[in-house]
Amino acid sequence: MPDASFSSIMEGRRSQPHQLIEVLQDVQSQHGFISEDAMKTISSELGVSLMEIYRVASFYKAFSLTPCGKNVITICTGTACHVRGANQILSQAVGQLEIEPGETSDDGLFTIKQVNCLGACALGPIVTENGDSHHHMSPGRLRRLVKSLYKADTEDSPHDKD
Amino acid sequence: MAQHVTVNIDGVFIRAPKGNSVLDAALDYGICIPHLCRVPYIQDTGACRLCIVEHIVKGRSKVTTSCTLLVADGMEIISNSEKIRKLRRNIAELLVTEAPNSRAIQDVALRCGVREVRYPFRNNDCVLCGRCIAICTGRFGEKAIGFVGRGKDRRVESPFDLSTTLCRDCGRCIDVCPMAMTPCGGPMNAGEERLCGNCESQMAFAEETPGFCVACDLGEGFQCERAPLS
Amino acid sequence: MTRINSTVDLEAMRRGFAKDRKEYQATIALCGGTGCKVSRAQPVIDALKEELITHGLDKRVCLRVTGCHGFCEQGPLMIIEPGNIFYCHVSADDAPDIINKTIREGEVIERLLYTDPLSAKRIRTVSEIPFYREQNRSLLSQNPLVDPCSIEDYIAIGGYRALTKTLSEISPESVVREIMDSGLRGRGGGGFPTGRKWAQCREAPGDEKYVICNADEGDPGAYMDRCVLEGNPHLVLEGMLIGAWAIGATQGYVYVRNEYPLAVEHVRVAVKQARKLGLLGNNILGSGFSFDVEIARGGGAFVCGESTALMASLEGKVGEPRAKDVHTVVDGLWHKPTTLNNVETWANVPFIIQKGAAWFSSMGSKGSKGTKILALTGHIKNTGLVEVEMGTPIEKVVFDIGGGAANGKPIKAIQTGGPSGGCLPADKFYLPVDFDTLTEAGSMVGSGGMVVMDESTCMVDVAKYFLTFLQDESCGKCAPCRLGIDRMLEIITDITNGDGDPKQLGLLEDLGYTMSETALCGLGKTAANPVLSTLRYFREEYETHIDEKRCPAGVCQALITFTIDPETCNGCGACKRECPHNAVVGKKKAVHSIDLDLCQKCGICRSECKFDAVNVN
Repeated sequence: MPDASFSSIMEGRRSQPHQLIEVLQDVQSQHGFISEDAMKTISSELGVSLMEIYRVASFYKAFSLTPCGKNVITICTGTACHVRGANQILSQAVGQLEIEPGETSDDGLFTIKQVNCLGACALGPIVTENGDSHHHMSPGRLRRLVKSLYKADTEDSPHDKD
Repeated sequence: MAQHVTVNIDGVFIRAPKGNSVLDAALDYGICIPHLCRVPYIQDTGACRLCIVEHIVKGRSKVTTSCTLLVADGMEIISNSEKIRKLRRNIAELLVTEAPNSRAIQDVALRCGVREVRYPFRNNDCVLCGRCIAICTGRFGEKAIGFVGRGKDRRVESPFDLSTTLCRDCGRCIDVCPMAMTPCGGPMNAGEERLCGNCESQMAFAEETPGFCVACDLGEGFQCERAPLS
Repeated sequence: MTRINSTVDLEAMRRGFAKDRKEYQATIALCGGTGCKVSRAQPVIDALKEELITHGLDKRVCLRVTGCHGFCEQGPLMIIEPGNIFYCHVSADDAPDIINKTIREGEVIERLLYTDPLSAKRIRTVSEIPFYREQNRSLLSQNPLVDPCSIEDYIAIGGYRALTKTLSEISPESVVREIMDSGLRGRGGGGFPTGRKWAQCREAPGDEKYVICNADEGDPGAYMDRCVLEGNPHLVLEGMLIGAWAIGATQGYVYVRNEYPLAVEHVRVAVKQARKLGLLGNNILGSGFSFDVEIARGGGAFVCGESTALMASLEGKVGEPRAKDVHTVVDGLWHKPTTLNNVETWANVPFIIQKGAAWFSSMGSKGSKGTKILALTGHIKNTGLVEVEMGTPIEKVVFDIGGGAANGKPIKAIQTGGPSGGCLPADKFYLPVDFDTLTEAGSMVGSGGMVVMDESTCMVDVAKYFLTFLQDESCGKCAPCRLGIDRMLEIITDITNGDGDPKQLGLLEDLGYTMSETALCGLGKTAANPVLSTLRYFREEYETHIDEKRCPAGVCQALITFTIDPETCNGCGACKRECPHNAVVGKKKAVHSIDLDLCQKCGICRSECKFDAVNVN
């Protein structure tokens, strides 16, 4: 855990237990997950017991205790997206990547996540990845999106020698 | 010198110290309101919902947990109306079908009027009553275990299984756990979903006199303050 | 901009900004809200900027990127003044035409106009579009007029006037009385009389008090608060300032769910700007009143929309609700008296102060005053945010504003109030959107979400959907909620799998009753509503699943089989290509068939087949 980034996250928050969630959010967005080491550091800096931090990190969906894949495919399963077939899109993702929601593919390239409403309900079904949002998604469009992400990542890989 | 207030529980006027909960006041007096997640002297959270009572305010009744309701002068409480007994029975039914192998939970359920159950039995070894955590953190200030996760995933855990470093092996959590007694050999077969009633509680009395509290042997840590009948 | 120290200075500043606005020869109000951003509004914004600069018009024409206009499916969209011209589905390529034809020549571009789905006519102005015309956009009308990141815009259209009126003319007690007289009830779902809440908090003992804006908006399918907070954050801040003055608070919090990054950003900018001008901080406008606001983000938990869970989250803890035998107006955040209100509730306050309680209570019904923003989604032609007077019949919202069914299939039900609400059948659409009426009918207004469902929806599946959602979101602390939802879901899953038993319907009702009476918080107490309301109005569907092991709508996967009709299939292979489970077999140009062992019943083949060759039995 690089100390420099941690200092900036803890800036102005030391010994303030109520800042725990804000701190965890910054750690999550910078490192992609909350590690045991990170929790121990936060515990001593904020003055919150390790048990409490572990409780908070495991309660809120925004935090992951394990590293995520390179591409996090988030599928909205809110009511409006649900009645427009979000289930089919989830089925597509699960079938294509061969993992369940919440899991990461073995090659570390993809994680499937579900979210309960992003507030773009009139444009559903919605899928987001890498900060980009896609609207009026269909299983076919998702299949092509995942394929293009896979291609982009494996083409960059220096081990791709066939 | 503590201030005292007078509250009316089930038609009985009780003097209780200000700051006590209705549950405390009732138990001190000998009115047994069934409860599970309560650990004496530690702040109650109202998690198991078994201690529900009707709080009558201006003629209207509100169902609330007696462990979180503090006594106030002139308060009117009903702890054993038909409505409360039915609701309590349903909650106890939910709890006992989660962990039917616990004698303590079976006994609480029987006392709440559960005989037949309408859900398939599960075989969990924890009902999330939180007594272990209450005694670890609330009484002794250790933070070795806690509730982790949410909803269906809620469980009692040590962070990263670090129990070896955080836990002092005092064993108090085991003392108060309703699951930590010799398990009942009884109702685990599918299709036989019924409580046999052969545990140590005096169920015969309870069946003949509904609403009558019986002293039952729930095991150490669950002792009701009311004196046994015989 | 320098700090303003008096109401006189603020008025002078306002006159300046208003004058600047009038000097533009034209204004393009382009929506930059979350929905339009997803529809790629940014390239349109960039193209228009470039085009304006090319023609030397960037100082004479105002390109204002506003918040959400509420008609998201038509985005990217814009309103051009003068002329009130409405363009929709705009792309970056349209920029040259918009600037050259409409802005410079006043010519309307037909292809960019909105086509009314009912009359098939193209409509020129916003005020003529039935979707907008049938609404009463008291609150939302400000959104197209302001750039949410510009405090100048807000001040120019009259913003912070209610604050100056409050600080100079109205005592705190009178503010409370005004809100009480207006009849405003909480807009987040609880419907609790706002004035009474403020009065109780004001009377509570203590010097340190807090106000909180609940922007957690967890109901899936509801995005009213997103629209207001993202598009007009100063309106909400002004409401909070007035509320803080009334109850005696000096510190406020806005708790925004972290799934709304744009709303978080905009309210942060708004707070910074307000602080700079001295509208937040010490001695506001020289009145002696001090108040500041902190922004906090949610962690992804629906239960944090509940007031005690939200406060626990603000304190850095797990979002578990606590018993409310002592209310939060007495014992709230940090155990101090706290007034927590929803975004829309706060947004109504400046209008009530400016226009008066009598104006507000002249709108609406006997028990529900004012207007309500609704999120209308589902199987309907015009989806979007709709603001109507309370007491408006549901059928007006669904047909006059929503335009009726989208797919030609008759509308079957409307789901209102999110996971705490219920479903009402089409023959109940005469009922008004009113707190007490809908609650009595077994549903609720809730935060305003309204999902229209046609006959392709299975109501048992809808109940299952909401139970699955709630099972995920329940904090798990209390037994009736945690175990009750779990057992309900177990029973409903049995029913949708064809393993149901008639006795289970009575059990669902008994369990639902138990949860509603004994759960610790609102989530648990209302968790049974989707099941109970569908049992009340659509019992035959449950019975068909149990007795006939059949799903009338053809949705429940265990009860349906997908087959390919050999007469209609032309072997195009689309289904085989799209099937994510490799369950379709067949050679090119030959009839395809489905391997039932591999088929997961997802229905993708059916939606992809252009020849209607896939059947559901």
